[in-house]
Amino acid sequence: MAGIGFELRKLLARDDLIGIAEGYGHAAIATSGPWLFTILALSAILALGAPNAPPSELAVFRLIIVYNFSFSLVLTAPVGIVMTRYLADSIHAKDVEQAPAALLGGLLITYAAAAPAAGALYAWYAHLGRLTFLAAFVDFLLIAGIWTVSVFLTALKNYRALVLSFGLGMALGIVSAALLAGPWGAPGMLQGFNIGLAVTLFSLIARIFAEYPTRASRPFIFMPYFRKYWDLALAALAYSIAIWADKWLMWLAPEHQTLPIGFVSFPEYESATFLAYLAVVPSLAAFTLTIETSFFEKYTRFYDDILRHVSYGKIDANHRDLIQSLMEGARNFIILEGSVVFVGILLAPQIFDFLRISYLELGIFRLGLLGAFFHSGLLFLLIVLSYFDLRRITLAIGGLFLVTNCIFTLATLKLGFAYYGYGYCLSAMVAFAAAFLATGHLLDRLPYQAFVRGNSSVAQ
Amino acid sequence: MNQRPTADVCLVLEGTYPYVTGGVSIWTHHMIEAQSHLSFELVCLVPERAELEPRYQVPPNVAGITTVRVGSLPAGAKPRGLKALCERLEKPLLRLQSGGGLPEIESIMAELLPFGSNLGRRALLNSPEAWELILRMYQATYPESPFLDYFWSWRAILGGIFSMLLAPLPSARVYHPVSTGYAGLYAARAHLQTGRPVLLTEHGIYTNERRIEIAMADWLYRPAESGLTLRKSARDLRLMWFQAFAAYSRACYEAAARIVTLHSGNQHFQLADGAPQEKLAIIPNGVDYQRFSILAHQRAEHLPTMALIGRVVPIKDVKTFIRAAAIVRELVPEVQALVLGPADEDPQYFAECQALVTYLGLEECVEFTGPISVSDYLPRVDVLVLTSISEAQPLVILEAGASGVPSVATDIGACREMILGGPQEEPPLGPGGAVTPLANPTATADAVARLLFDPDYWKRASQAVRERVRLYYDKPSLDRSYRELYEYWRGVPDRAPAEAISSKDAA
Repeated sequence: MAGIGFELRKLLARDDLIGIAEGYGHAAIATSGPWLFTILALSAILALGAPNAPPSELAVFRLIIVYNFSFSLVLTAPVGIVMTRYLADSIHAKDVEQAPAALLGGLLITYAAAAPAAGALYAWYAHLGRLTFLAAFVDFLLIAGIWTVSVFLTALKNYRALVLSFGLGMALGIVSAALLAGPWGAPGMLQGFNIGLAVTLFSLIARIFAEYPTRASRPFIFMPYFRKYWDLALAALAYSIAIWADKWLMWLAPEHQTLPIGFVSFPEYESATFLAYLAVVPSLAAFTLTIETSFFEKYTRFYDDILRHVSYGKIDANHRDLIQSLMEGARNFIILEGSVVFVGILLAPQIFDFLRISYLELGIFRLGLLGAFFHSGLLFLLIVLSYFDLRRITLAIGGLFLVTNCIFTLATLKLGFAYYGYGYCLSAMVAFAAAFLATGHLLDRLPYQAFVRGNSSVAQ
Repeated sequence: MNQRPTADVCLVLEGTYPYVTGGVSIWTHHMIEAQSHLSFELVCLVPERAELEPRYQVPPNVAGITTVRVGSLPAGAKPRGLKALCERLEKPLLRLQSGGGLPEIESIMAELLPFGSNLGRRALLNSPEAWELILRMYQATYPESPFLDYFWSWRAILGGIFSMLLAPLPSARVYHPVSTGYAGLYAARAHLQTGRPVLLTEHGIYTNERRIEIAMADWLYRPAESGLTLRKSARDLRLMWFQAFAAYSRACYEAAARIVTLHSGNQHFQLADGAPQEKLAIIPNGVDYQRFSILAHQRAEHLPTMALIGRVVPIKDVKTFIRAAAIVRELVPEVQALVLGPADEDPQYFAECQALVTYLGLEECVEFTGPISVSDYLPRVDVLVLTSISEAQPLVILEAGASGVPSVATDIGACREMILGGPQEEPPLGPGGAVTPLANPTATADAVARLLFDPDYWKRASQAVRERVRLYYDKPSLDRSYRELYEYWRGVPDRAPAEAISSKDAA
């Protein structure tokens, strides 16, 4: 009976089922890793005393490092997240042949953005000697390169290599900075630190070429991802600007200092907040572990079982398991982080006495602790959201964090010194609350999200 | 919703004319041409992603073509009251899966119509409210089955239903679906919404074809059988598909004023699917008797000849024809066996047939002609042979019959009625050949040999089949049957649309 009807198969396009499993897990460490490294490195450097270096040289060194870390993190965030996404998809498709090429392409883009930015910053804005300029410029490029390269090792989940490279490089950098401080001053310290950074960068690159021993042929293969995932790139940019927005805006405070080289800073605010950030390191590390092990396992099972054609009863049970595992992670986080913050707030005067820090920073430190608590909670939720590929929501929350941090910080500037620190703290709370509501809503209707809203095979 | 004046007839065509070639398309084309005094609207139901390229020059009395993609819904809005709508849809949708038909379609439409053009896939398929509906229906019907497959089946089935109920509806005096299935569902909806009569023509039995297709489907996941476990096994999701198509058929049968098919064999299936006996009618396909009748007077001198007219493809079972030829040759050594038709469609099958000819030593006897004009060959054919394993109403039997050539055909579709006469034949005209079991070369050969051996028998058969075609299968007289049907139902006065719908119709 030719002619009547048509194949049912056309009604039920089976190839499309895979739409559900798209957007496989990525980006857990990609976001928390660099942040951990930054906190540790900057705290170490700010606490670093070089007995044989004049204090003014030390200040120049510290400030250049703070500038380089903050600006390079912001600059590379969009590239890093888009490359993470590209790599996660390549790994999911079991085709990582173009990874070394993508590394080259990513570095080229990073440097195309970083070199003019660093050049402009140090050549026009600051008044540096030729040697200091060169060292600061190289330092910026090295740090920017490290952010881009580390994306590859995190996507590979090769954390051992990552930690080893960072640890070795940091140790070497701090020691040689201290050694070179005496004879050469600030440029010497910078170049000493650069030696360590170079070790980190090149050992990471070597590791990647060892992992993917193919020839690099199409370095810009991931470029279409920028168009496809512009919202992801924008979210990363907003979030990373938000992290620094209050520090930069506080430079406008009447209490700011201007170094002879032309850089402004507000050392009390910066050292207080970085000290507060140190407090979140243990819980951030513990949480990252939860995400990578227990949650990732539940997450994978939830999606794999769907594709294994289980009944809805099983899907429902997996859904509960997944929420349960997040709840446990959250509980551990609140207990661990909460007690650190509580103890920190209570014992702040004793800590300041011990570290011989000015009591002027006490308020900022306490607010910073509270802010860091909500900030790391926010990071926790952003990572969960990124697992479910909710890019617009992530973008909205990153944007909210950025806007509130700017507005609230500017408001505290108007209100005066007594209010310094409230801006960041309140903004972290607001962004956390928004992320909490969004994540709760998502997790509540995860099966619906998986089958309908987040399914690229369903015509929306 | 339609600017054009009300047409006389709206043909509802699923997956066929004018985009697909084939028997039904040819039938449709001739039908429109033969009823040139009537204006037609065509509603063409096509798969969601099909590429559309017309294969026919549509006659001028077609006022408009409405193409509807099955399962494709507009995005639509998310109107107020969606939660309540999804709750009220649940019952009729569930009943539709367990023996429901036209009343359920009416309930569903009564719920949908007040929303006007607001509804689309966002509300009916993608909303959280629709998701709750999926889960409730799943729990009520197939709670242990693979949910991924249920989900896609649900979307495809409900998307199909909603797309039929919400698609544009041209205004017409008579709605004429050319199959049940989605076309039948669409026509049932048209009947409910306009109150106008529905005439159904079924060439093959839609639900049967779907049943075979679903039974063989590999696109539905089936859990591995585990014979020793006591766990309650999941209900087979294929049932859900069967029931959906059965429901569309029932709805169409209930809505139809007349249910026409090509031969009485189909009517058993229609009755089994719930068609009321009193609505059933047979209008076979016809051939131009005059044109082929002339050939009866042009018979040329020739060797005894049996011929198969058709493509060389497995469904025609050409191998049985070749084997039968080998047996006939034992009795009639000079017999010629012709395969008249293109051989390029399935090269591998053609090669197998040629190998069989060589194996049986029939090189002198069997000939593959390739594409030919039937009228050129019929004057030198003694017996038309049809060994197909599946046909509806093969017109070659009628073409041969009109030119006085008896047929030996397998007992499928309308072959028995065309060769031996149907129940309505009064007085009986006698056999115009023979019908044989499927894939039985001996039976085919016996019947052919008898016709070749016995000139008197051949003559009787030749006259009987010619007369039968003239009386019952002449195209002009069959065209008249449809003309009369249309004429009657077109004139039936307007009736109010279904009550539940008219009271809620926003338009």
